[in-house]
Amino acid sequence: MEMNLESIFNPKSVAIIGASREPNKVGHAIVKNFIDSGFAGKIYPINPNAREIIGLKCYPSVSAVKGKIDCAIFAVPAKFVPSALRECGENGVKGAVIISGGFSEVGNVEGEKQIEEIARKYGIAVIGPNCLGVLNPSSRVDSVFLPVYKMGRPHVGGVSFMSQSGAVGGCILDLAARAGLGVSKFVSYGNASVIDETMLLEYLGNDEKTKIIVCYVEGVKRGREFLEAAKKVTVKKPVIMIKAGISVGGAAAAKSHTAALAGSSEAYKALFKQAKIIEAETLMELFYFSKIFDQPLPKGKRIGIMTNGGGYGVLAADAAEQTGLKLAELSSDTKKKLVEKLPNYVTVRNPLDLVGDADSKRYELALDALLEDENVDVIIVITLFQTVGLDSNVVNAIIKASDERKKPIIIVATGGEYTDVHCRILDSYGVPTYHSPNAAMKALKHAAGYAEYLERKEKRK
Amino acid sequence: MDYVQAVGLLEKYGVKVISGSIARDKREAKKAAAKMGFPVVLKVVSKEISHKSDKGCVRVGITSEKTLEHAFDEIIHNAGSAKVDGVLVQKMARKGVELIVGGKRDAQFGPLVIFGLGGVFVEVLRDVSIRICPITEQDADEMIREIKTYPLLTGVRGTLPSDVTAIRKLLMQVSKLMVKEEKVKELDLNPVIVHEKGYDVVDVRIVE
Repeated sequence: MEMNLESIFNPKSVAIIGASREPNKVGHAIVKNFIDSGFAGKIYPINPNAREIIGLKCYPSVSAVKGKIDCAIFAVPAKFVPSALRECGENGVKGAVIISGGFSEVGNVEGEKQIEEIARKYGIAVIGPNCLGVLNPSSRVDSVFLPVYKMGRPHVGGVSFMSQSGAVGGCILDLAARAGLGVSKFVSYGNASVIDETMLLEYLGNDEKTKIIVCYVEGVKRGREFLEAAKKVTVKKPVIMIKAGISVGGAAAAKSHTAALAGSSEAYKALFKQAKIIEAETLMELFYFSKIFDQPLPKGKRIGIMTNGGGYGVLAADAAEQTGLKLAELSSDTKKKLVEKLPNYVTVRNPLDLVGDADSKRYELALDALLEDENVDVIIVITLFQTVGLDSNVVNAIIKASDERKKPIIIVATGGEYTDVHCRILDSYGVPTYHSPNAAMKALKHAAGYAEYLERKEKRK
Repeated sequence: MDYVQAVGLLEKYGVKVISGSIARDKREAKKAAAKMGFPVVLKVVSKEISHKSDKGCVRVGITSEKTLEHAFDEIIHNAGSAKVDGVLVQKMARKGVELIVGGKRDAQFGPLVIFGLGGVFVEVLRDVSIRICPITEQDADEMIREIKTYPLLTGVRGTLPSDVTAIRKLLMQVSKLMVKEEKVKELDLNPVIVHEKGYDVVDVRIVE
């Protein structure tokens, strides 16, 4: 079944079971989204009571379709799902996305069991039920029934998302679209009755287009298997996860100290540590942590800070210390170079305060010097856009410096709309921006930790 | 599982609990103490009492037959109406850092192993690290270094560093036991007193 996931993420033809002419119906939105997204394959709307939907020929059933169907998307009430799924199986459909709810989440365990049995019998990879389904910007697959004007669609990129919750998944996609974060695959997997989180993690782990995996999970079905799968994936690419739902039950009934100390949340913490999964505590952290991996991994923890505001340099240095990063000792070459080229009222040290009248030229000089300095593993660039001297040219200077991906360059910029515009440009070029030194350092700490982990793994080989 | 069974099961996995014997009366207790040599510890053995020291059912540092007699009566009295299976006479453990090593079964991840600073305040301090079994040597090593009080094990204020290698081995043994012995639901080795060479497992509790 797992190998049939390809027919869900990259189908050449899709059938939409429960396609509708009514604009406010889910079955309508899905057909429309497939057309609007520019899906290049065949679209077969299925509805016995319609002849045509949005200009596409409509079929009374899956059996009535002559051509091959790779993936069927279900938007019909729960009671119609099992028979339609069986029909799919008999017609050789290998992938199914069951958007429909009304299964185990409302106590209909029997209905969900039927889905499992049919899927197993015919070898159908089933996503759901009770989910948003799948989005793949590169193959233009879009089963997400939320209208485009309400929820933005992200462009093609390297981050893949898997979310148990549809609502959270929708927020993540909308935020990703707005932040300009490129997405490879998105899947909201709902009740996970057939394809569960372990299978999805393995699939995304093997997917070459996926560079980073981000997960929202409330619980995993097969904990041990998930751990083993995650261990294999994290040596290839970073996995960032948010675990929702802190369970307190159980601990109270414990007879031993151990059971009282090791509840379900602690078990998840153990999972994160053993598999080197990066834990995010908020939705925003999912973004903060994933975008740091657009930059090369740091070779060490020594950071060089440049700023046009002295106070911000101090805050950044504090945040670095607190997260276990170190301030780099600038080399004598660097110091010499900077003393020669910078105005005499700039004190050359780390953090490097380029002073309030700094312009993009001054940043360029400092960037060049720190890129060359072997004592500096990471460059933190603080750009406070409120000053008179700093303008949009600094964005070009930073993007140019980051172009060779020689060492990680991370931006801290705090401000309003003018600042945001520049941050978005930088982010879209893969230079991550953060609104606070703390957010930047926390993300950087994870990148450094991940780099160390890979190095240890490499050494042990 | 009673104390003797628990000790036997641990031994099967190479974990030695500090030597002791169960006495049914004062005469047997004195005989056992004479054999192992003073100082000794007396503990009430009862499935109905889970936190023995809280109830005054433990006496440590007993150096003579006379104090042993007093202590015996006292802890039996403190056990109150609980069903008592006997009194455990144990050799007094050497001084060192008190640790807890344990295991439990999680609904989603199966057996877990736990390590931390032990003793009577273990649930207040919650300075523990946890891993999903089976653990690797690297996991065991990280577990030990992860707790906040790890510096206590490296030797502070003139004390010698603790035998971390032995603890690492103990964690691996407990992990193995938890994986193999499915009947074991919860396991506490608390305290485990570690010193510069080896450790003493002072108390054991296994819940089936």
